[in-house]
Amino acid sequence: MGRDQWRAALRNPVGAVAAGLLVVLAILAVVAPILWGDAAEETDPAALSQGSTSEHPLGTDALGRDIMLRVLVATRYSLGLALLATAICVVAGVLLGVLPAVLGRRAGRLVTAAVNLAVAFPGLLLALFFAVIFGVGARGAVLAIGLAGAPSFARLVQTNVAAVAGRDYVAAARVAGVGRFRLVARHLLPNIGEPLVVNATVMAGTALLAFAGLSFLGLGVQPPAYDWGRLLGEGLDRIYINPAAALAPGVAVVVAGLAFTLLGESIAQVVGVRAVRRRRPPAADEPAAALARAAAEPDAVLVADDLRVGFPAPGGGWTHPVDGVGLTVRRGETVGIVGESGSGKSLTALAVAQLAPDSAHVTAQRLEVAGVAPLGRADAEVRELLGTKVAMVFQDPMTSFNPSMRVGRQLAEVTRVHERQGRRAALARAVDRLRTVRVPAPERRAHQYPHEFSGGMRQRAMIAMGLMSTPELIIADEPTTALDVTVQRQVLRLLEDVQAETGAAVVLISHDIAVVGQLCERVVVMYAGRVVEELPVGRLGAAAHPYTRALLASVPDLATDRDRPLATIPGRPPDPADRPEGCAFAPRCEFADDACRVRPGLAAVAPDQRAACWHPRTQPLDLALDAVPGGSCDTDRRWGAEGPPEPSVQGVGRLERVRDPLHDPTSDRGAGGQA
Amino acid sequence: MSAWAGNPWAGFLLRRLGRLAVSLAVLVTLAFGMIHLIPGDPVRAALGVTAPPDLVDARREALGLNDPIGVQYVDYVRSLFSGDLGISMTSGVPVSETIGQRLPATASLAVAAFVVVMLAAIPLGLAMAVLTRGGRRRGAELGFTSTSAVVAAIPEFLLAVGLVFVFGVTLGWFPVAGRSHAASYVLPVVALALGPALLMARIVRVEALAVMDEDFVRTARAKRLPPLRVYLRHVFPNALTSTLTIGGLLLSGMIVGTVLVENVFAWPGMGMTIVSSILAKDYPVVQGIVLVYGAAVLLVNLVVDVLLAVADPRSTIREG
Amino acid sequence: MRELSFEGTTVRFGTGRSALTAVDGVDLTVPAGSVVGLVGESGSGKSTLAKAAVGLVPTTGGEIRLDGAPLRTSRDRRKLQLVFQDPHASLDPRMTIGESIAEALPGRRRRAARTAEVARLLELVGLDPARARSLPSGLSGGQRQRVALARALAAEPEVVLADEITSALDVSVQGSVLNLVRDLQRQLGLTMLFISHNLSVVRYVSDVIAVMYLGRIVEAGPADAVLSAPRHPYTRTLLDAAPAFGVALDDPVPADDPRLDAEAPSPHDPPPGCRFHRRCPIGPLTRPERTICAETDPQPGAADRPHRAACHFATDLMEVPAP
Repeated sequence: MGRDQWRAALRNPVGAVAAGLLVVLAILAVVAPILWGDAAEETDPAALSQGSTSEHPLGTDALGRDIMLRVLVATRYSLGLALLATAICVVAGVLLGVLPAVLGRRAGRLVTAAVNLAVAFPGLLLALFFAVIFGVGARGAVLAIGLAGAPSFARLVQTNVAAVAGRDYVAAARVAGVGRFRLVARHLLPNIGEPLVVNATVMAGTALLAFAGLSFLGLGVQPPAYDWGRLLGEGLDRIYINPAAALAPGVAVVVAGLAFTLLGESIAQVVGVRAVRRRRPPAADEPAAALARAAAEPDAVLVADDLRVGFPAPGGGWTHPVDGVGLTVRRGETVGIVGESGSGKSLTALAVAQLAPDSAHVTAQRLEVAGVAPLGRADAEVRELLGTKVAMVFQDPMTSFNPSMRVGRQLAEVTRVHERQGRRAALARAVDRLRTVRVPAPERRAHQYPHEFSGGMRQRAMIAMGLMSTPELIIADEPTTALDVTVQRQVLRLLEDVQAETGAAVVLISHDIAVVGQLCERVVVMYAGRVVEELPVGRLGAAAHPYTRALLASVPDLATDRDRPLATIPGRPPDPADRPEGCAFAPRCEFADDACRVRPGLAAVAPDQRAACWHPRTQPLDLALDAVPGGSCDTDRRWGAEGPPEPSVQGVGRLERVRDPLHDPTSDRGAGGQA
Repeated sequence: MSAWAGNPWAGFLLRRLGRLAVSLAVLVTLAFGMIHLIPGDPVRAALGVTAPPDLVDARREALGLNDPIGVQYVDYVRSLFSGDLGISMTSGVPVSETIGQRLPATASLAVAAFVVVMLAAIPLGLAMAVLTRGGRRRGAELGFTSTSAVVAAIPEFLLAVGLVFVFGVTLGWFPVAGRSHAASYVLPVVALALGPALLMARIVRVEALAVMDEDFVRTARAKRLPPLRVYLRHVFPNALTSTLTIGGLLLSGMIVGTVLVENVFAWPGMGMTIVSSILAKDYPVVQGIVLVYGAAVLLVNLVVDVLLAVADPRSTIREG
Repeated sequence: MRELSFEGTTVRFGTGRSALTAVDGVDLTVPAGSVVGLVGESGSGKSTLAKAAVGLVPTTGGEIRLDGAPLRTSRDRRKLQLVFQDPHASLDPRMTIGESIAEALPGRRRRAARTAEVARLLELVGLDPARARSLPSGLSGGQRQRVALARALAAEPEVVLADEITSALDVSVQGSVLNLVRDLQRQLGLTMLFISHNLSVVRYVSDVIAVMYLGRIVEAGPADAVLSAPRHPYTRTLLDAAPAFGVALDDPVPADDPRLDAEAPSPHDPPPGCRFHRRCPIGPLTRPERTICAETDPQPGAADRPHRAACHFATDLMEVPAP
């Protein structure tokens, strides 16, 4: 944890107050016994068990001693004992927590099991147990509270150590031959330091309170010594006569305990990721020149003009990961958006579908989705208008389904809400849609939970969810990235079939230009939040923007010349918060010159092809884009003399599930019965 | 038998009950060992230095402390199984009888407080999550988090003292000591439940906010579902797992937290008894009550694990 | 540089119902000075094999040898160095990259000698030696992966294992790391096991290609031969599935036959006989007379077939023109 972070923790008002309180307490702990130690012991037979008087502002105890002075003097003892207990707890906890990492597998597991068992019991129970063993008194209580806190601290250390020990850099150090003890000292402990400091601070507060509790019960500090808990216990007996005698030590305990706890929490907040504050967007800054609007296309399902998505930046101001995107998708068209991570392609899709995160601010000169202009409308209205017109397929099928709801119900929900159908009818439709996307045994599958589906099957189910009614636009955001190659192809083909069947427009977003090239008619290339080139797939070989060309050349495929180095792009994509003026690609571009300091707009370089570049390339790319095995091979030769097996049922529409013995409904039922 | 082996539930319950048995065995051993870990002679300590030696020896003989330790352990476990927890060294009353009298008071206090926590914390936490999602209403968020942090950090016995002062001494609304009619429950239950309730509400809020960031909630939004349905169907059930886990921990904490609260309100439960027994060095009573508290905590853990397995279809507990 | 060989290497996780044989009797040789590319889908056990070699997971059977001598102690294993997939996770965020690299240097050295060696290694992987004092957080993904390579080389390894080292990188950075791997291999004559799910990437750097499926090597042979004349239908399926321009999705590729849409089998419960038979386009699904595939494990006779293909019908697959 750097010095800046400590400072930030103290700058936080709560943290500053807590730290201030601790400083005051520390001074009191040092000074009070010296100044008032004797006075606090002085008995005054003339003033036994008094309430508040001018001489004794908080009254006196049963022996006539001044309560206020006793509370002040008790600071040292209370804090000292608490810190001692904390030290015991932290040392024992760290030792127990690190032990499994140092010991072998088996011994380590035993330690972990013992700690887990001990953690199940609340600290107070353990403290009582140890108090019995170590005897009633301050020494016994310190040991009891320290040891009682050790298991939970050990558990914390173990959890953190296990998290760090699972990281690759620890594995790398082990592979490099770093010994166990050095591993703990150099890699494990430093990387769990922050949570440990935070929790030790909180632990000090807890120990203070626990100590007060034990003393209050009479199990801690014994007379004539006294701490806050002892004073509190004595005061409680006379709460009707002199409430201050009980309240003053109580307040002292609470304030000191809170000071530790709140300091710990404010450190934790600074260390942890702080939520980005939601801010009012800046007054709509109209783009300088009204750009030439895309000619109103009557058959467009998606028109976006100068689409911008902004987020509040940590240091004030706004960053725009999507910075003026223009995009038109016609009915029934398949368009691919290609770009690296950080290019803004996924955010563009989310913004178009009105699913951008809460903190995002979306603006556009014009945005129309399926005939609806959603910007500036209330959420409920957008929901009503868009309804089921836009279907989404997300990247990670593992996390995109609600894990606690059966798949069939998640699909049926769409129809139930939007078409107000009954449960049974909606479920029947869900099963039908699952069958459409070739999920085997759809009746049984509909009753399963998402975790019982494989990745590819989940992605199919996700597509089926979009097909619960008739979407006009399907947006698929990296739908195959999380899948294996053999499954990837099946999902792509399914998307193609769905598109052919429903006539919906498809927007496919991918980092892989080859994937896009297989499915789409038109490719939109994005870089640093903007569209840099737009071209038909057939013209990829004549890409004009240097970035598109570099992207095509730097990815090896099965036809790449193995004896030549791959083309590379120097540098890395710019951070959205820190994009260069003018053309964002210029710093990485070999053709860049002074002209590139001005931001280029999309301009036609060929029919149907537009590029945002001052120096568009004209030569065809030297890539063997077609010379890929399989492209022109005839299947007879590939699958041996007997030729490819004929599909058993011919002429069935591709979206119809092909009946086959493997997925006979009767066998499904049989399998379902067993499961 | 084969049907049993094939059933993941049977396997899970078998494993979980096995763990309970091991934990109970450890607990019993520790309770037994407690008396032997005390430095010096526990009987001498209990009777005081002035007690005549033959009395001490007679008492040692009566407690079986002169037998070999293995024999003592076997005797201890055997008498546990017959429901015999020993006899109080000070009063001569069987420990099981004392516990039988005191347990209902403690249990009713803990259960009442737990019900209050659940009823108050879950709706509060969910409501705060919905209101403060995506950085909305910073003021409300700051107010809630700081108030709950401060109140949750005040231990139950101090809260109890404060409540006694305000509602008992100053306002005189509720009785401050003893267990009689319903009104006598108010202050102890509030003292015991307030901190855990706020802690729980904080955790429910954080969990619900985390679930709202999940991909599947985005999927639900992409389905254009009404917000209420998104929260109730997609967010809350998935925040339930950790709520249950924390709820179990809080209940364990509250069971033992009764010790302090009982001592403030002179509540005639096990907490009062264990403290006076520790002070009087009446070890058989302490042993018995520690066993009851420990067993209660282990049972709560078992129930939570079973509930988790029921609630979560992916439950790793069930499978591994 | 020496030869690394796996002999019947087996890795098993867990016991009872949840037991999983991640690597099942793998025989594979990485000849000295050459690059063997290991391809497979997720769950095929390819990463586990690499982890077993460097001792991060214990083996339950078989032997891993370096020039014939079995690797037993952790000292032996230091001669194998592994480069991890995610460069953001494989460098300690609290150590400068110089310290990370120096930590892997074998033996005791003076400070000056260590600094010089670290500088040499950084230069070798194309980084400015002055970077030695920066923390990983200041580096891009590609640069971090270069540091990870430098650290592996610092240990003076006999064999380098690279586990998906480009898949966490941006597309535009991937190429330069691949170029570096290729250059280093040629310059230093490295012996390498290069693991990736991406056939095109493996093809670019490897001399020999081995294909893994459900814990087993199903085919291995010279890169060109495996790619142009695959002997195992799974290799063929992988080749067909690789996204490529000019290949329409709707060409009549049998691997896409709807009958083959069945779920990939679980490694917890591998199918009997040939593990691929339920997804195989030339197996009993399409040719019911080929019952042998569901009954007899093709692994034992593999050594006698071309490319050691674990397929009863390995000779069926005709040659395809080399790309």
